[in-house]
Amino acid sequence: MLTTVLRRVGQGVPVMLLVSVLVFALLHAAPGGPLAVYLENPGVRPEDIERLRRALGLDQSLPTQYARWLAAFVQGDWGFSLSDGRPVATRMLERLPATLELAGASLVVALLAAVPAGIAAAVRRGRWFDRAAGVLALAGVSLPVFWFGLVLQLTIAIGLGWLPSSGRSAAFGGGLADRVSHLVLPAIVLAAVHAAAWSRYLRASMIGVLSRRFITAAAARGIPRGRILLRHALRNAAGPLLAVVILDAALVVSGAVVTESVFAWPGLGALFTEALSRRDYPVLMAFLMVTSVAVITLNLAADLAHRALDPRLRG
Amino acid sequence: MRRFAVGLLVLLVLACGGERGGASNDLLVVGYDREPDTMNRFSTHILEDIQGCVIEGLTITDEHMNVVPLLASEVPTLENGGVVLRPDGGMDVTWKLRPGIRWHDGVPFTSADIRFTVEAINSPDYNPESTDGFDRIEAVETPDSLTAIVRYREVYAPYALQFVRGALPRHVLEGRDIDAAQDYNRNPLGTGPYRVAEWKTGEHILLERVPGYWQGDSLPAIRRILFRFVANTTTRINQLRGGEVHVTALVPWDKYREVRTIPGLSIHRMTGNSYEHVTLNQRSVPAFRDRRVRRALTHAIDRELIVRTILDSLAPVIHGPIQPVSWAFTDSVTRYAFDPARARALLEEAGWHDADGDGVREQDGKALAFTMITQAGFAVRENVSQALQRMWRDVGVDVAIRLVDGTSISGLWFEGRFDAMLHWWHMPADPELTLFFAKDRIPPHGRNINYVEDDSLTRLLYASDRTVDQARRRALLVAAQQRIAELAVEIPLYNVTRLDAVPEALEGFTGNPTNAGIFWNVHRWRIR
Repeated sequence: MLTTVLRRVGQGVPVMLLVSVLVFALLHAAPGGPLAVYLENPGVRPEDIERLRRALGLDQSLPTQYARWLAAFVQGDWGFSLSDGRPVATRMLERLPATLELAGASLVVALLAAVPAGIAAAVRRGRWFDRAAGVLALAGVSLPVFWFGLVLQLTIAIGLGWLPSSGRSAAFGGGLADRVSHLVLPAIVLAAVHAAAWSRYLRASMIGVLSRRFITAAAARGIPRGRILLRHALRNAAGPLLAVVILDAALVVSGAVVTESVFAWPGLGALFTEALSRRDYPVLMAFLMVTSVAVITLNLAADLAHRALDPRLRG
Repeated sequence: MRRFAVGLLVLLVLACGGERGGASNDLLVVGYDREPDTMNRFSTHILEDIQGCVIEGLTITDEHMNVVPLLASEVPTLENGGVVLRPDGGMDVTWKLRPGIRWHDGVPFTSADIRFTVEAINSPDYNPESTDGFDRIEAVETPDSLTAIVRYREVYAPYALQFVRGALPRHVLEGRDIDAAQDYNRNPLGTGPYRVAEWKTGEHILLERVPGYWQGDSLPAIRRILFRFVANTTTRINQLRGGEVHVTALVPWDKYREVRTIPGLSIHRMTGNSYEHVTLNQRSVPAFRDRRVRRALTHAIDRELIVRTILDSLAPVIHGPIQPVSWAFTDSVTRYAFDPARARALLEEAGWHDADGDGVREQDGKALAFTMITQAGFAVRENVSQALQRMWRDVGVDVAIRLVDGTSISGLWFEGRFDAMLHWWHMPADPELTLFFAKDRIPPHGRNINYVEDDSLTRLLYASDRTVDQARRRALLVAAQQRIAELAVEIPLYNVTRLDAVPEALEGFTGNPTNAGIFWNVHRWRIR
């Protein structure tokens, strides 16, 4: 077990280095730069642009800039944001709670929808519920996130007036009820894609398990149907699903970029959008590195979880 | 499980409608398109709407684009003796400060703050957004606490706007690294009607009234202003519709019809200080160096039709870079009416013929073709560029359109890497044109991205920069506008009209075409 973990971590380091070089090169290959925002303002003279370029260290060669960034980054110095001059780590940390809150809520929503739907569709395979669930899942996977978000805003928030259209809390509210009411719509939007995919996934693995002999045997011994489904079948079918859920958790964070923008949710995704439009390289690099670490870590976690649930995989 | 669900439902019901109150003198909510980088007016690179509620300048530009005194008791001019041209070619500007002004912490605002500000901005240790004008100041003398004499090395025509961003408080910032002074940069000390009560990163900035404001104890009438950061335009309009925000500046034109129908809201329309136009890069497209070709391209366009159909008649057609809101504006310039026959004749005259009959003119085997870039994500602009493409095609010019994202497009034009560009300039409150049209102001030395190199125009522009007397300066700028039109340097299309959505019950709102922004007179706002 320990050797597996160590080996995987060892494999992760060169991957991370490669990712950092690629991301750095890609970001700098895009036209425009951190000074582009200044160019729109006629009060900023060309002399000012030159002065700012030097002050921000953008006059140095790209390899030098990369080497300096890497040297600082591995020592835990993430640098300063080019747009507001504050430490990158501070800017990311203050956005983290909002993102975790939204990601956590959407995971719960997605599971609450996917698990019952997946089980029911497997049990009533080929019947109307299964077909309806299939159509809904297809819709859930295909709906563009920004469009679905805006439609919910227009119908639920503005048309019916049931929920606030966006933001994380009311200006002077901030109580639990207020926070939950702000969370509902973005969590549903973010959950939709995953709920759809997971329910289909669970349906397939449940169908596989339900056709096995031990299920027939359990039924023959007179064990109640509900108990067979939840105790025997679900337990066996849940392993693969868990691995997928853990892998998708990284996507929940990155998928939040669009959702957070539509719902003015003050999380990491919104920070990323803002940093991208300003070419705020230190923030972008930190965000992409953290995301990469998260993906690699969650991959490892998914493997380990799968092993823990399935004794056959423990060699 | 069931109990949990019921609890959740109750919570939701309780939460509903919690923040949909209308605008009141207790709270006004503004939907703002972006979060400020800093509250320091000298460091920020976005509009100073929020900062301006806290920090006041010595002067401000009003809704008619006149420079009026704010913390100064008057605007110095040659007539009132506030401006003296020295025999050595320099000039002295004497600022008289309004007596009795205090910073929010009670410390008097004095001429020493002005001197400190100039020294800080000129110091290599601080990186403000712009050092424009400050870099021409050799010294500031402070004979008394209410008088600052600013000594310029050379004549600087826009001197009246030098301290439009106010001053840095010496007693707070002296001896400190201002770039890193997060206490000030996040919550600055000012003299204005409001101060920052809370800055919740990524969500909002809350301003609250400062008691004992110098313009009157009863001012401002509105107790708190909340700026909510909502980057997505559609979301911002949705919040306006749902009553979650009360004010939104710069409503996009294609949302006009939608926003106009929202009850309780009024849309304030105002001629802007920016203009949409097509830049013709003479360096990358040799054909643009021929004035007949530039004139033909202008004659080929039916601007009135574009304005009537695509723009819903919201924006008037204009003919030059200085806008009708400015004191330097003139409309006695050469105009190029929609006249495709004239356009074709000019192109023939310039030696561009369609010999092979494919509908595109050519000369020496080279087709008259270019690529026009424009910013992606603006529905209106995408439609206008397609209309232009069609109209040019009708006179035998082949134009390809490339949509580029906002940050990338700045990089492209700053390096001159384009043929033609459909875009707007936000013009400075001072009507300077030198940066845009002087022949030595091509990138990276300026914004002359038409790459026009005209000696007489350049002479007029520099002369206008060195003329303080407004009537004489205007004469020079009028001549410059006429020269620009005569040369058909670029293709002016229409004025970028400002649309600001505010509550119908809001009194005192005037709008403002400059980057002083709509909050420039916020202390006079009141909800009926």
